[in-house]
Amino acid sequence: MPYHEFEVSKVIPERKLHAVVKGPGEDLTSCLPKGYLNTIPGSISERGCAYCGAKHVIGTPMKDVIHLSHGPVGCTYDTWQTKRYISDNNNFQLKYTFASDVKEKHIVFGAEKLLRQNILEAFDAFPEIKRMTIYQTCATALIGDDMAAIAEEVMAERPDVDIFVCNSPGFGGPSQSGGHHKINIAWLNQKVGTLEPEITSDYVINYVGEYNIQGDQEVMLDYFKRMGIQVLSTFTGNGTYDSLRGMHRAHLNVLECARSAEYICDELRARYGIPRLDIDGFGHKALGDSLRKIGLFFGIEDRAEAIIAEETARWKPELDWYKERLQGKRVCLWPGGSKLWHWAHAIQEEMGVKVVSVYTKFGHQGDMEKGVSRCGEGALAIDDPNELEGQEALRTLKPDVIFTGKRPGEVAKKMRVPYLNAHAYHNGPYKGFEGWVRFARDIYNAVYSPMHRLSAIDISKDDYETGKGFVTRRMLSDADLSEDAKASPITGYTGKFDPIPDLRKKTDYPVFARRVAAAE
Amino acid sequence: MTCEVKAKDRTGTINPIFTCQPAGAQYASIGIKDCIGIVHGGQGCVMFVRLLISQHLKENFEIASSSVHEDGAVFGALDRVETAVDVLLSRYPHVKVVPIITTCSTEVIGDDVDGLITKLEEGLLAEKFADREVHLLPIHSPSFVGSMVSGYDVAVRDFVKKFAKKGAPNGKINLITGWVNPGDVKELKHLLKEMDIDATVLFEIESFDSPILPDGSAVSHGATTIEDLQATGSASHTFALNRYEGAKAAQLLEKKFKIPAVIGPTPIGIRNTDSLLKQLSQATGKPIPTSLVKERGIALDAITDVAHMFLADKKVAIFGNPDLVIGLAEFCLDLEMKPTLLLLGDDNAGYVNDPRIKALQENVDYPMEIVTNADFWDLEDRIKNKGLELDLILGHSKGRFVSIDYNIPMLRVGFPTYDRAGLFRNPVVGYSGATWLAEQMANALFSDMEVKKNKEWLLNVW
Repeated sequence: MPYHEFEVSKVIPERKLHAVVKGPGEDLTSCLPKGYLNTIPGSISERGCAYCGAKHVIGTPMKDVIHLSHGPVGCTYDTWQTKRYISDNNNFQLKYTFASDVKEKHIVFGAEKLLRQNILEAFDAFPEIKRMTIYQTCATALIGDDMAAIAEEVMAERPDVDIFVCNSPGFGGPSQSGGHHKINIAWLNQKVGTLEPEITSDYVINYVGEYNIQGDQEVMLDYFKRMGIQVLSTFTGNGTYDSLRGMHRAHLNVLECARSAEYICDELRARYGIPRLDIDGFGHKALGDSLRKIGLFFGIEDRAEAIIAEETARWKPELDWYKERLQGKRVCLWPGGSKLWHWAHAIQEEMGVKVVSVYTKFGHQGDMEKGVSRCGEGALAIDDPNELEGQEALRTLKPDVIFTGKRPGEVAKKMRVPYLNAHAYHNGPYKGFEGWVRFARDIYNAVYSPMHRLSAIDISKDDYETGKGFVTRRMLSDADLSEDAKASPITGYTGKFDPIPDLRKKTDYPVFARRVAAAE
Repeated sequence: MTCEVKAKDRTGTINPIFTCQPAGAQYASIGIKDCIGIVHGGQGCVMFVRLLISQHLKENFEIASSSVHEDGAVFGALDRVETAVDVLLSRYPHVKVVPIITTCSTEVIGDDVDGLITKLEEGLLAEKFADREVHLLPIHSPSFVGSMVSGYDVAVRDFVKKFAKKGAPNGKINLITGWVNPGDVKELKHLLKEMDIDATVLFEIESFDSPILPDGSAVSHGATTIEDLQATGSASHTFALNRYEGAKAAQLLEKKFKIPAVIGPTPIGIRNTDSLLKQLSQATGKPIPTSLVKERGIALDAITDVAHMFLADKKVAIFGNPDLVIGLAEFCLDLEMKPTLLLLGDDNAGYVNDPRIKALQENVDYPMEIVTNADFWDLEDRIKNKGLELDLILGHSKGRFVSIDYNIPMLRVGFPTYDRAGLFRNPVVGYSGATWLAEQMANALFSDMEVKKNKEWLLNVW
């Protein structure tokens, strides 16, 4: 194995198995780091906990729900207002978060009564909300509160409410990934099949592993609606609690983020015989292929082709404008779990950049398999990176831009590497044909920031071209382009600051005749 | 009595104002040079606090986790701390101070961190790191006690307890700032310089606001050294500006080394800054220089421009760290404003006996509510369902949607203020802070007048 040993990690030799450099002709049989093993204490890993994996990543994007954490306030506060999973109901789930506020006396004497009172108070404060999710935390897991029993009591007392219970304390597993698994299975066991949905189309899907970051889900729903597909539920971004209780009636599970949500798809297949189709909303080709696959499954390829043709004609020229200007730019693709493989191939093919490194904080070996196979020779792949390794990699790889989280982005900033938020995006949505151009636009804006160029200059020593009042991005990006390219009337992105409000207003979807009567 | 102090009348929390104790301990720890804390608990207790701090300061700070997983929660997780100390010291050769910050999980399972530290001192440190200066200390900060505010208070005390040594009087005072921003420390040091007073500042966090350098080498970190901490035992006085964030350390120094402690005032507003300078002058014998008379005059000049014309009678809700909230309320009263709702986000039993709160209760001549153990629902519910009318909100960014959804202008102040650029750079303390606060409040009201077309023409001739 072409393992890569970081200088800074020589004292923790087990780390050597967690990074590889893909050499000439190497494939997964010879080049694959370890993944999803216990974290090395004190390494300053970037991993989170199983509570946040369950509550923050998957639970909270559900939009019509009181999300209550049973524990001290910290877990609730800390995971509140740190993501951008919007919704079309005025962002209730972003704005409101609930903690049972466990204090020392509850640790000693139990917090079940406290939880019960909390549930009632929360429903009373928001009488229009009738659904709730409750999340265990480290403290209440250790004192052994029976949250499910309390939830049952309240549901018996108030028949109009429904409560979901998730037991995924922070210490449950090496990373947030443990929480993804737990909440997937808990939802399936507790809630799927408890409500019969109304079927309005011949083509019915669940859209799974999609969290509506900056409106991704709404972009994709637009395509599905244009194809005449009924999206029964979205797990979970912009999704409703009750629609997710009816997941068992879909004809197909369309899976986006396999890292966080493949478990529920696999179980829906096992228990209800619903097939799983992995798709990809990122990238013109991958997205086009995804719509085609769905079309093929239902025998409506023509509907997919029509969308692909229309959207490509509208957005491909603007994407190509960026591709021409981003050729060979070196990218560190350092997201959380799955975007390394969602993005690696697509950005290289369609934006012209070169992925010099991929990493995953909480991915499993399966994510690395896909990630490594989709990046080119010489790419450094790191599992569960830590602070010093990240810095060493940035120093040696000298990327032009990095896609990572908010805080690691600050590390990169100091090292003079422009950063884009890989989790919450800079100016998304990034899914969809238009969204992909928005991503290219953000990369271009980062790479060709005139300020970034200024930061390289040591004003006390370096030569300086005085008398120049400004530099534009075009002056930097077009310097070496051909005259033809410079003269092209095409420009970069011409869409709006926020494309989502228009989608929410849209009503002119085609109506397709049903093959079978709705009653059947 | 028109000013009522009461606890939140619900058990649960809807939109918390504070996070928990370990966050406060972590914020204190990054103020110390060559210090990387290890938070003993699940990884989220560190990951999210680092994210929170980076949201506020737009900088990265290093804090480690013992990464307690399921087996540790069941069988005890002290071995995780042992490994963490070893790994951290091995990879960060400059690190000298390693606080072990506990969390709810490791306090519930009862890990004996104090005992482990003795074991590590005798074992690992003596054997593997014998040629290194390394200090380990426990900071017990279970999340189910107090809040981030008490976590900060406890951590400052524990750092001082660990390091303070009695030496020859060093002619310095100790200045314990409380949980403040780089801009506040800059202003406080400026005041001390003008007063010609030498101080040990806990903590030196101006360097939190760090540059991008051409060689990419800059790192954000506090600059208080071990020597600074040791010197706190040799000071003439301790000034703890915040009663709830640093007073414990001042009291410890008083008890252990007979160093007189001056607790408060939180120097927010002209009057509180005056009080601080007078007390500093009395303690050190140094006169208040004319330069500060002039600075004070500039502040009064600026404030006079906005106070009785625009700020008078404006109704304000204030939430956040208690000393900040109380200091702001006091300043607002001096500005002729009406703080009508103060929200303190934890259940500290000391609030009801706080002389500043008692003074409010005795003197405020309009209805004012002070809610302890408060959450943001205590604010929103009053606006939405109980007819509370407000002209302005003062507080941190987590309350932003109350301002947005109810169209009430809000000045971001406190921690965290991630939805506005660069606020950590400005002081709220001292004369400069008073000017900044008054002018920013006025500007917030001005923008609101224009957005709502509410006498926006008033500013034509101002």
